Amino acid sequence: MTIDWSWIADHTDDLTTLSVSHLQAALSAVFLGLLISLPLAVIAHRIRPLRGFLLGLSNVLFTIPSIAIFVLLLPVSGLTRTTTVIGLTIYTLVVLLRNTVEGLDSVPAKTKEAAKAMGTRPLRTLLTVELPLALPVIMAGVRIATVMSISLVSVATYIGDGGLGQLFTDGFQRNFPTPVIAGVVLTLLLALVADALLVALQYVLTPWTRKRGA
Amino acid sequence: MNRRALLGGLFAAASVPALSACSSGITSLQGEGTVGAGPGSSKDGITIGTANFTENQVLGYLYAAVLEAAGVKTTVRPNLGTREILIPALKGGDIDLLPEYQGALLHYVAPKSKATEEGEMQNALTVALPAGLQVLPYGMAEDSDAFVVTRETAEKYGLTSLADLTKQNGKLVIGAAAEVKTREVGAVGLKDVYGIEFKEFKSLDSSGPLVKGALKKGDVDVANLFTTDTDIQANGWVVLTDPKNLIPGQHVVPLIADRKADAPVRKALAKLGNVLTTKDLTELNRQVDKDKKDPEDVANAYAKRHGLTK
Amino acid sequence: MPDTVFELFKNLGAWLTSGEQWSGADGIAHRLAEHLQYSLLATLIAAVIGLPLGLLIGHTGRGAFVAINLASFGRALPTVGLVVLVFLASGLSMWPVYIALVALAVPAIVTNTYAGMTAVDPDVKDAARGQGMRAHQVLFQVELPLALPLIMTGLRLALIQVVATATIAAYVSFGGLGRYVFDGLAQRDLVQVLGGAVLVALVAVVLDLALSGLQRALFRHRPA
Repeated sequence: MTIDWSWIADHTDDLTTLSVSHLQAALSAVFLGLLISLPLAVIAHRIRPLRGFLLGLSNVLFTIPSIAIFVLLLPVSGLTRTTTVIGLTIYTLVVLLRNTVEGLDSVPAKTKEAAKAMGTRPLRTLLTVELPLALPVIMAGVRIATVMSISLVSVATYIGDGGLGQLFTDGFQRNFPTPVIAGVVLTLLLALVADALLVALQYVLTPWTRKRGA
Repeated sequence: MNRRALLGGLFAAASVPALSACSSGITSLQGEGTVGAGPGSSKDGITIGTANFTENQVLGYLYAAVLEAAGVKTTVRPNLGTREILIPALKGGDIDLLPEYQGALLHYVAPKSKATEEGEMQNALTVALPAGLQVLPYGMAEDSDAFVVTRETAEKYGLTSLADLTKQNGKLVIGAAAEVKTREVGAVGLKDVYGIEFKEFKSLDSSGPLVKGALKKGDVDVANLFTTDTDIQANGWVVLTDPKNLIPGQHVVPLIADRKADAPVRKALAKLGNVLTTKDLTELNRQVDKDKKDPEDVANAYAKRHGLTK
Repeated sequence: MPDTVFELFKNLGAWLTSGEQWSGADGIAHRLAEHLQYSLLATLIAAVIGLPLGLLIGHTGRGAFVAINLASFGRALPTVGLVVLVFLASGLSMWPVYIALVALAVPAIVTNTYAGMTAVDPDVKDAARGQGMRAHQVLFQVELPLALPLIMTGLRLALIQVVATATIAAYVSFGGLGRYVFDGLAQRDLVQVLGGAVLVALVAVVLDLALSGLQRALFRHRPA
C-alpha cells in the first residue's frame, strides 16, 4: 500500500475544499446541538421526572446507526447538506445534553441561594451564575461532541455528502489507497486542531478556573 | 411553506459558517412534491447528479464540460447513490440533470413496458416519465448490464446463456448491487422471464471491487457487471447471452428537469451523444479505474480532443 | 408528512412480524446472529487488549498521557476510512470489519479502566500495602474491585458503539443488521432501513441492560 504523492500534490485544492466542507458540517452540528441541548438541559435539571426521559432518549438515539439516520431523513431534507447536519446534530445530543445537565448539577446550591438572597431573578441567575459555573463541564462535552462529529461526517458519503468521506468511497471504488489515507489523516488533523482551539477558547472563557491550576 | 421548507430554512439559517463548499441546504428550500421545483432555467446553472460508479461520474463530467462550453454554469455532485435515490432527488430539485441508461430507466418508471428497440423505448420514456422530467435524445454510447461467470464456472456447468442457469436452480449464488435484487433487469426479471432461482443473492456493488472480488474468489458464481468494464475481458470472464431479451438496450441518455432543457443545453448534449462511442466510454472508464486519473480530467481531455470544447 | 410517518411505522410493524422476513439467509434471525457475532467478538477482542492496558497504566501511573490521548484519537478516527483502508490492504475478508470495530472499542475500555484505577483512594492502597499485601494482591484484591464500576461503564460504552457501528460490515459485502440499512438505501426502501435501525438499537439497549445486570451481580459479591 503505497502513497501516490503526486496525486496529493495535484489535489491540494480538492483536499482543502473537502476539509472546509467537512469542518462546516461538524461545527454546524455541534452549534445546533448546543442550541437544542441548553434549554433541554435546563428543563432536565429543574424538572427531575423529565431528566431520566430526556437523557434516556438521547442515549437511545445514539444507538441508532448514523447511516440509517441519514437515509431516513432523505424524504424530509433530500440529498442535501441539511440532511447531514440534522443527522450529526442528533448524535451530539447524547454528549452535550448529559454534560450540560451534569454541569448545572455541579453548581453548589449555596451559590444559587446566595444569588437568590441578593434578589437576582431566576433567568438572570441561570445566565450569569449557573451557566458560567457549569461551563467547564459543558466545554468538556463540546470538545467530545466536536471530535466525534468530525469523525462521523464521513458517513454521509453514502448520501453523496460527507466532506472528506468522499475520498473513502472514491478510493474504495477504484482500489486506490492514496485518497483514503489522505482522508483519514486530514480527519484526524481537523479533530486535533478543533480540539486544541476549543481548549484555548475554554481558557479564555473561564478565567476564574485558572488560579486553581485547572 | 411545508414542513421540509421550514426545516430547510431553520437549518440553513443556523448553519453559521455557511461556506457551502460542495452541496448546500439551499436546494431543500424548494420544497418537495412539486416535480422539478428547482430554480429557474439553465441560466441559473445546472446541478448534475451522478450515481455511485465510475462511468456515471465520467458521464456527469462530460455533460459538465460540454455545457460549460455552451455557457451554462454547472455543478457536478458525484457519487450520490443509486437510481432509486437519484430520481427522487431530481424530482425534489436537489439535482437537475442525470446521465441515465435508456432501458434501465424505462424499467424504473414503467416496469411493465415491453419496448426493446431504441426508438420505442425513447417514446415509452417520454410517456412514462413523471411530469416535469424529460429525456433528451439518446447517444451512441451504450453500457448494458451483463451477467457474467468465470471461465471455470462456464465450463463446469456448461453455461453460455442465461437460459442455461435454470439447470442449476437453487445451487448458484449471484452477486450484484443491492438494488438489482428488486429490479426487473435483475433478480426479478431473471426469475420471471427465465425461471432462474438462485441459492442466494449477495448484495455487493455496481461493477465495483466487491462484486469483482467475490467473483474472482468464488464467493459468487454469477456476477452482474457492466459491459463497459474492461475487467471482463482482462479476466477472460464469460458474458452469458440473453436469448429472451431481458436486458434492454442501454444507450446513454440525459434525464433532465423540463425547466433546464432549453436549446443550448439540448444542442450541447446532443453533440456529445453523437461523438461519444461505447469504445470511447470504455476507455475513459479504464483511465479512471486503472490509471487513477480524475473523472473530471479525463472528461475534459476527451471533450477537448474531440472539439466539443475549446 | 404525518401520513407518511404513520405509513412507515405501519409497514415497519408488518415487516418485523412477517414470518418470511425472519427466515432464510437474508432473514432477521440470521442477520441478528451475524450482528451479535461481529459485535460480541469485536468487543471481546477489544477487552482482551484494553483491560490489561488500562489496568497497567492505572496501576503503575505510567502512560497516563497516552491513555487520555488515545481516547481522543479513537473518537476522531473515521470508521468508514479505516474500513476502506483495511479492505484495500487485505481484500475481501472480515479483517476490515473487526479491525475497525476493535479500534473503536479499545479507547473507551482503556480510558475508563484507567480512570477507574486512578479513582481508587491512594490511602486505601497504602493501607493494603501496609498490611503486607504484594503488588499483584493490591491490584487484584483492592484496586480492581474498587475500579470495577467504571471499568464496566467503559465496556458498556464500547459495546453500544460497536453494535451501532457493526452496521458497516454490510458495506464490505458481509451480513449483520446493516444489510437492511445498506440494501434499503440502494433500493430506497425506507421500511427496510427503519427495520434495520430499530433492530440495531434494540440489540444495543438489550445488551446494555444485560451488562448492567451483570455489573449489579458482580457488585453484590464485591469484597467490602
